[in-house]
Amino acid sequence: MAQARHGFDESLAGRRAECDGGHAVPGSHFAGREDFAGTLTGEFVDHGDPPWRWYLLADLTLKPDGYTDDSVWCESGNLFVQELGT
Amino acid sequence: MVKDPLRTKLCDLLGIDYPVIAFTHCKDVAVAVINGGGFAVLGEAMHTPDDIAADIAWIRERVEGRKFGIDLVLPASVPPSGSVDDLEAQIPETQRAFARQIKEKYDVPDPKGSVDLHTWGGLNQELARAQLDVLLDERVPVIASGLGSPVFILDAAHERDMLVFGLVGKARQAKRQLEAGVDAIIAQGYDAAGHTGDVGTFSIVPEVAAMAGDTPVVAAGGVTTGRHLAAALCLGASGVWSGTQWLVSRESDVDMIIKERLLAATVEDTSYSKSISGMTMRVLKCPWTEEWAQPEAPDILPAPYQMLLSADYIQGANDNRREDLMTEAAGQGVGLVTSMKPARQILFDMVEEALDTFEGVVGDLA
Repeated sequence: MAQARHGFDESLAGRRAECDGGHAVPGSHFAGREDFAGTLTGEFVDHGDPPWRWYLLADLTLKPDGYTDDSVWCESGNLFVQELGT
Repeated sequence: MVKDPLRTKLCDLLGIDYPVIAFTHCKDVAVAVINGGGFAVLGEAMHTPDDIAADIAWIRERVEGRKFGIDLVLPASVPPSGSVDDLEAQIPETQRAFARQIKEKYDVPDPKGSVDLHTWGGLNQELARAQLDVLLDERVPVIASGLGSPVFILDAAHERDMLVFGLVGKARQAKRQLEAGVDAIIAQGYDAAGHTGDVGTFSIVPEVAAMAGDTPVVAAGGVTTGRHLAAALCLGASGVWSGTQWLVSRESDVDMIIKERLLAATVEDTSYSKSISGMTMRVLKCPWTEEWAQPEAPDILPAPYQMLLSADYIQGANDNRREDLMTEAAGQGVGLVTSMKPARQILFDMVEEALDTFEGVVGDLA
């Protein structure tokens, strides 16, 4: 499998964002959606080529009930970064 | 001369006769629909890359050069860390005890094999990435992403003359994908089986169609009949994406117990529940969903913890074919699915009913 490549995007660090998230359900062919909102750390990771980019969203202000972590990796295509000043 | 209302830009894009996409996990169903003049997308989310390659070859041998699609559930978010074993260790005792209580109350048998949660693409971008690479290597005619955005793969797919379809539950997801250049958008409403957003099909389809320009929009969620097909086209869609009725087709490899339950089910027999996975999904009601809906039930855990709890129940029920315990994803249109037919006949009946519906509204189309 392709190596994951980590990086940092300073222009996104500290920006607020929403993530229309979700993933497959283990052991089944089901999947589910999950919504998150928080602050981007600027950290990202790319998987494979063409790169499949994921950003770390932290200090979550919206997350599923009972979600215990305070951060989540969000796929870039499902990440909606809020405009500055909003 | 009256235009054939079922001849849409989706038909032109895919080279098909009827604008109906069957979403199925059964290769035989996919081949039957494709060879009948419709289109089919095979769900391969939980398959290994090698199995996906084998399935692609199997279909290719049987569709005489016609296009087909493969669907992956690309993850859109994953927790920052944690193996399955780590996650299991974090499940609170209250919920564990409630799961044991259900198991005892309904005499739920143990699974016959181990509950396999470790080869799971949901928390593992690398596995999903490997699945995608197979689709690119094999130049599958259509890649469909059943959850996450497929935008990052667009250029690589188009360079290989492949089409990319994205499935969305919100208009802003559609806007993002349309701007990036996906070849078709599946707008899925709340009525759908399995995972859904919270916007109804009747609302999301025209909203997405209004922004799609020349890109075909495919309506999904609660679609089981020709009347749904006709309505979807009137809403601005160029076709429909449906799943539930193919589960009960003769070719389908779904357990006969589930087929019979689906055929007998009404919309009230579906449950929009988080109790299976911790994420909302529409399934046939079963003791597990009903017990977790009781006021005395503990809080449902978030994903992935709830699935770690429910996996033993689901696999035990399925492995032992316990009719009273089993469940399956089912859309709200399930009440209109009342007979078991060959997949090709399901397709033809949808088409005929859609044409009858149009004729009933506007008169003779001939």
